[in-house]
Amino acid sequence: MTVGGGATSAPAKFEPQKLRIYGIVGSLVGIYLAVVLNQATGTTVFSFIAAIGALFGVVMGANAVRRVCSYGIGTGVPSIGMLALGMGIVAALFGLNLGAQFGMDWLGPIIALIYSLIFGYVVGLIANRVMGFNIPVMEEGLTDLSGAGTLAIIAWSVAISGSLSYSSIVADVLNTGFIAIIFICGGLAILHPFNANLGPDEKQDRTLVNGVMVGGVAIVATGVCALLTQGMILGLLQIVVGFVIWYYFFVWYFRLAKRDAAAVVGTGLLPPSAL
Amino acid sequence: MNVGPETIVYILEIVVGGLLVGIGVHFVPVGGAPAAMAQATGIGTGTVQLAAGCGLTGLLAAGLMMSVTDNLWPILATGAVGAMIMIDATMLTGSWIYAYAVGAPFASAKVNYDPITGFSQPPYVAPGTVGQGIPTVCFVSGTIGALMGGVGGAMIYYPLMLINGNPAMSAIFAIGIFFVNAVLASWNIQGTIEGFHDPKFKKWPTAFRSCLAASFILAIVAVLIIPIATSGGV
Amino acid sequence: MDAFNMGLVAAMGALATVAGASEDIDSDIGSQSNPNSQVQLAAQVGNPHRIYNKAIAGEPPSNALWCTTAAIMAYVMITAYGMPLIFAAAAGAALAALFDGVFSVSAYIGRSASQARFNQWIYLDILRYTTPSIMAHVWITSFCIVTVSIIQVYLLTPHHPFPIPIIALIWGLTVGAIGSSVGDIHYGGEREFQWRLFGQGLNTMLSGQIVRKAEAGLRNSIDNAWFCAKFGGPATGMGFGLTVFLDNWRTAVFDPVTQSFAAIATGIFFVIVMILYNFYCELSARRKYGPYPGYKGDVAA
Repeated sequence: MTVGGGATSAPAKFEPQKLRIYGIVGSLVGIYLAVVLNQATGTTVFSFIAAIGALFGVVMGANAVRRVCSYGIGTGVPSIGMLALGMGIVAALFGLNLGAQFGMDWLGPIIALIYSLIFGYVVGLIANRVMGFNIPVMEEGLTDLSGAGTLAIIAWSVAISGSLSYSSIVADVLNTGFIAIIFICGGLAILHPFNANLGPDEKQDRTLVNGVMVGGVAIVATGVCALLTQGMILGLLQIVVGFVIWYYFFVWYFRLAKRDAAAVVGTGLLPPSAL
Repeated sequence: MNVGPETIVYILEIVVGGLLVGIGVHFVPVGGAPAAMAQATGIGTGTVQLAAGCGLTGLLAAGLMMSVTDNLWPILATGAVGAMIMIDATMLTGSWIYAYAVGAPFASAKVNYDPITGFSQPPYVAPGTVGQGIPTVCFVSGTIGALMGGVGGAMIYYPLMLINGNPAMSAIFAIGIFFVNAVLASWNIQGTIEGFHDPKFKKWPTAFRSCLAASFILAIVAVLIIPIATSGGV
Repeated sequence: MDAFNMGLVAAMGALATVAGASEDIDSDIGSQSNPNSQVQLAAQVGNPHRIYNKAIAGEPPSNALWCTTAAIMAYVMITAYGMPLIFAAAAGAALAALFDGVFSVSAYIGRSASQARFNQWIYLDILRYTTPSIMAHVWITSFCIVTVSIIQVYLLTPHHPFPIPIIALIWGLTVGAIGSSVGDIHYGGEREFQWRLFGQGLNTMLSGQIVRKAEAGLRNSIDNAWFCAKFGGPATGMGFGLTVFLDNWRTAVFDPVTQSFAAIATGIFFVIVMILYNFYCELSARRKYGPYPGYKGDVAA
């Protein structure tokens, strides 16, 4: 929807392969660490670890959006974020349900991840081969995006419900409708960073820092949901964690924006060259 | 999970629903950002978002209907009507702005004569633009698109609801499938189209194939999800 | 049909109208969605400006986010703490407004910083005085939509089976879609380009040449709200109000179980009426304005 001049080359400081590994491993570690610690202690205190884990997936997704959208796909950045979460929601529910059917809840995220990666790759193939986009990173980018959406949804669901069991996720996340905020917040965390920094002087580090910042906002939202599912203390804990992440990365982001901008002024007229 | 004849029917319903969404997007007259500057014919917004707006309004109506009846036809019809009302209200109020604020006659630059009213178009296309406003043919085309989107959304929702019996899960699942198909279709038309009279409309078989493949993969997965007794939680 | 339900449907229509109007004004202040492309282009063609550049993912997803945020907060407050419905909606809207502030600020500084080579500065005073008025409009939008969702789930019979956040998500997407289809034309077609010829769309040659100066000094984004609140905002509200009202009116008047046929037929009747009204608009615009004088070809109908 928003049209702008994206840089076609998209210079990158961080390699996508590295970010992909960090994203997948970081999110999975976050999910499992939270679940294991919760089970070991018999509480839901450590759910916020899963919420933090989702940030790794978000960064991977934001980087994938950056790579794909710098080619210009004709429909703007938002559509691709919604696609990522549309694929993610199906994969996440399927994986968790299949894991429960096998009686092994812990298998859910892995099944979901594998399914989403395959599906993302197929959609990328469709886009390139059937529709003739001919964007070289399309398959790769959509694989990443689909995986990122799935990981974000599962991790934030765990952050709200406190466990990986399908039945408690259905009761706490789906029946209450909290899946809606995960859906849209996850979508914005993935698509907003590149969309908000679109322009010829877009820098990768600034975009990714913005992704983590939006992820912090999403953790505040899951914390609000946790007020209901885990009680006031744990909900507030998650809100505070989210706020701290947001604040830290917002300050960082503002510093990077200052570094990149032509000028940051308190007030004033237009630049002398343009008056 | 038990695979029976009804499972195949569910898969077919979801696939047909996805295809209806994908093809319906081609009917919705979307001009993208230029249309908001009255630079192009159609509604001034993104394809995916408008299709989602109308299709999901239809889904809301269909969900309400499904909570009181199990009969497929009223559910599909009410989904279609909800979606058509949304898109018609949008296009009508948009027309007021084109007619009374921008002060421009409606015209399409893609055809010489409006196929429905027979009005000539080129004299009314402002210089430096590719048409403006929503001529009758676009309006009717958009209504058809919303009809297909609404039926598609309801058609995805209906079998999901029969499979897992959970309105919240079926709704969010339907939203997910809806978005995948709408995005694929909008990539196919590169973001803008004027309706069924637009030359781009001839590209629909591509979207048909793409949405068929994507919906099929999604449908296989959707029917595998079975309700599991919920315990604990809130 | 009973009077209570009808009253609720009328209230929903009124709330939706307010929500639509404030949604559009919010996006006009921030230059969100479609007109954003011109604001973005302006700096690139050599016109740096002092207009807010709130590029948050297009209107539908961003409004879906505000409304869903407000809805989860309201739902938590109602379910866990037994807060009265209307106060819960207000609390939710407050959280949504804060979220909006965060996203708006990050989009403004991000977009401006990415245009460093075109000498687009970041003005902190714009952030300070424009962001609160964006947040205020988002508060109104999300308050109204959450109240509509609450009415649909708790009060209106038959109760809607979806949970409140999902309904708010869908209405948020819808209000965003309507706001960017209707209200943006008034901002993008009229307000952004006031010195072109009246009575036609924007000539492609003029892309990016947005109006940057006001009656006195430089134009700011609050002026745009002043202009668009006269027609674009109310028209958007009308569009969304009609959607919510007509869609629910037919199931409120006719019982969806026994009279579903009548409910659907009423909907189709509304659709036909709107098609005819649009035809009337087209006809009267063509008759009153006539063809463009530059056209050299055949004018015959």
